[in-house]
Amino acid sequence: MVDFGQYLAGPYGPMLLADLGADVIKVEPTRGDGMRGGFIGPFMGCQRGKRDVALDLKHPDGVRLALELVATADMVHHNMTLGTADRLGIGYEHCKAVRPDILYCNTYMYGPVGPLAHFGGVDPLAQAAAGLEWEEGPVAEGNPPLWYRYGHGDVAAAIPSVTALLIALYHRNRTGEGQSMWASLLHGAMLYTADSWLAADGTPSPRPTLDREQLGLDALYRLYETEDGWLQLAAVRDDHWVALCRVLRRDELVNDPRFATAADRKAHRAELTALLADAFMADLATNWRRGLRSAGVPAEISVDTWDGETILFDDELLRAGVVAEYEHPLLGRVRQFGNLVTFSDTPGHQERATPMCGEHTREILGALGYADAAIDDLRARGVVTWPGDDYPFGV
Amino acid sequence: MGVILRAVDALDGLRILDLTGGIAGPLGVLQLAEHGADVIKVEPPRGSSARQLPASRVYNRSRRSATIDLNQADGARLFRDLCGTADVVVEAFAPGTMAQWGLDYESLRDDFPRLVYCSVPAWPSGTRFEEIPGYEALVHARTGQQWETTSFRNGPVFLHSPVASLSAAMLVPIAIMSALVARDRTDRGQHVEVSLLQGVLALTTQNWNWTDRGQHLLPKTHPPGVHQGSIYECANGEWIHVPASGGTQPTRSVASVIGLEDVPFNELFAMSTAERDDYMARWREAFRRRTRAELVEELRESGLLAEPIVAPHERFDHPQLQATGSVVEVADPEVGPTTQIGVTIFLEGTPGAVRGPQPLSGAHTDEVLGALGHSDADLGELRRSGVI
Repeated sequence: MVDFGQYLAGPYGPMLLADLGADVIKVEPTRGDGMRGGFIGPFMGCQRGKRDVALDLKHPDGVRLALELVATADMVHHNMTLGTADRLGIGYEHCKAVRPDILYCNTYMYGPVGPLAHFGGVDPLAQAAAGLEWEEGPVAEGNPPLWYRYGHGDVAAAIPSVTALLIALYHRNRTGEGQSMWASLLHGAMLYTADSWLAADGTPSPRPTLDREQLGLDALYRLYETEDGWLQLAAVRDDHWVALCRVLRRDELVNDPRFATAADRKAHRAELTALLADAFMADLATNWRRGLRSAGVPAEISVDTWDGETILFDDELLRAGVVAEYEHPLLGRVRQFGNLVTFSDTPGHQERATPMCGEHTREILGALGYADAAIDDLRARGVVTWPGDDYPFGV
Repeated sequence: MGVILRAVDALDGLRILDLTGGIAGPLGVLQLAEHGADVIKVEPPRGSSARQLPASRVYNRSRRSATIDLNQADGARLFRDLCGTADVVVEAFAPGTMAQWGLDYESLRDDFPRLVYCSVPAWPSGTRFEEIPGYEALVHARTGQQWETTSFRNGPVFLHSPVASLSAAMLVPIAIMSALVARDRTDRGQHVEVSLLQGVLALTTQNWNWTDRGQHLLPKTHPPGVHQGSIYECANGEWIHVPASGGTQPTRSVASVIGLEDVPFNELFAMSTAERDDYMARWREAFRRRTRAELVEELRESGLLAEPIVAPHERFDHPQLQATGSVVEVADPEVGPTTQIGVTIFLEGTPGAVRGPQPLSGAHTDEVLGALGHSDADLGELRRSGVI
């Protein structure tokens, strides 16, 4: 795969393919990916496993080299705005001309057609349009909207773009036909609220609502503060209710007519929440969790990662490959999420670190048949580069 | 009128047996169903309990439904027969459930070596995390999502959006398709797994990158993060997001659109806290004086990014969803015509489409089992004994 993307919504997709074993070549501007300079963490989070050739796509020789790489590739991926790749000379038609069965994927903010097609974008536009910010406020309860800082919109463009490529690859394996495809932050984010539909008269499908304190969807599916921390309760079944009352030593609630049925408990959400909030303050979170679990009531301590308790440092998850650890030449040991999919027979791997800008330029051009002298000449003319003593980046 | 050739779908001929409830399984499989896969929902004779949720009408559309009681030996045998016709099985049961029926991967792989078997548990199998009950909010709690979600206050925050399941739903089709692509070369299937915990990890790409030199983006949660600052209230209590930057060259500044003087960044940074607060208060006041529709139009005309912050049911009006054909009418057999979001990835050569509504429970039992060679008499007998 040749990856011309920058920032996140492009490069994250190719990184997932590198995790699956694809030979991903990141074609990076000689001045560096826009995120390499200032955002080491987010940059590393979408670049591991790739090889990197730094070349100038505004130089005709740079475009020629890029197309020579495409001729050896199965897939091309990037997140340039509409028309940019065509202007540079690496659009779908250019790539198809050198590789007729190429699978070509562009991720956009809004997609390539329609009144806003020409816009670039950023994550919050997708979260706003999908309804995520409105519901997490929650605006309906009088709060401002709240942006989720985990970049849900970017992720929703990047991951489905891999689905598109794999579907197209499966099809190409059967027909020999390549094609172009796209995903977008906007369309991907629609998956997060795909469950919302309208009836014929425009009535929205019913949805749970978050309380104004942002603690839960219901008295029995909610965060509660305990004597020493917070506990997530998920007492969602009828049999959970009775067991919960016993563990909390509030047996009288079992026969309280206000809470007799699941519907009653929903109708008296505020009263029940207040009673449970009071009860949970009487003991430690670990004690509640132990008691509830042994009584069959789902509950878990809400882990405060500021206390250093993060699953990145869980040895069992490291062994399971769900957490990755590898060495980076400038940063030392790195820990990140590992395999997002676990395979029984074709395990993924993340031992190759985030590449430095142009780290593999010589190796990649050499494999295209360029002699050392020619490669040195390309560098002298500013068409390509690789890390020297004056390497300007921290990663 | 000319002859209309129906485009070939990329996954024509691929058969998936979908045993899943919840979110990640059915929504993951949906993305393959709408690119041509023949998905058969296998549910208990009285229908899957997931059908009680309104979401099921979307997550379980574009597939057929066969009802089979897997608790009966005859039912499990029918399912095995179906495996012989299928490429993929997807299940999301509590650990050990499929094994009880003799339908776990180990029990199927010798008879069906080309089968891709996808499991979608809450927690990674074979780890102690499996002891934690499989509920979405417990995954958020254990992975630190609740303490890392920014908010208006300190302390943990309940995430309204079931993000673990939803990102797992994006990973499920990748798990299945990569195993199928590998099968093209090895001629063998395999067992693939996407846990909800891995769904959470998929979101941490920017946030969890620890090195010997330190963690490269601290999980500070209050006050809210960078993009929260560009949310503004407009007239009539409507909200707008006006984030900076984004790949276009604006012709005007946001300040000029809302009728304020431009203050260069260096001057803004040189201001005292009180001066800056005063300036930002004037921004907020200027937004409140204008209607959202007018602001969105004017900002976009000026090449600036702007998006109405809407409730989910209001998103169908988005001009880009309209322009890309992404808002579809689906005739649901129980509630009639509905408006839903359609296909969300766009393959130009093999576009895919919504193939139909969530079928009634068991609507295709006879058709699916009949194709296995069962006679009407057989099926009648199976129905009488409650197997189907």
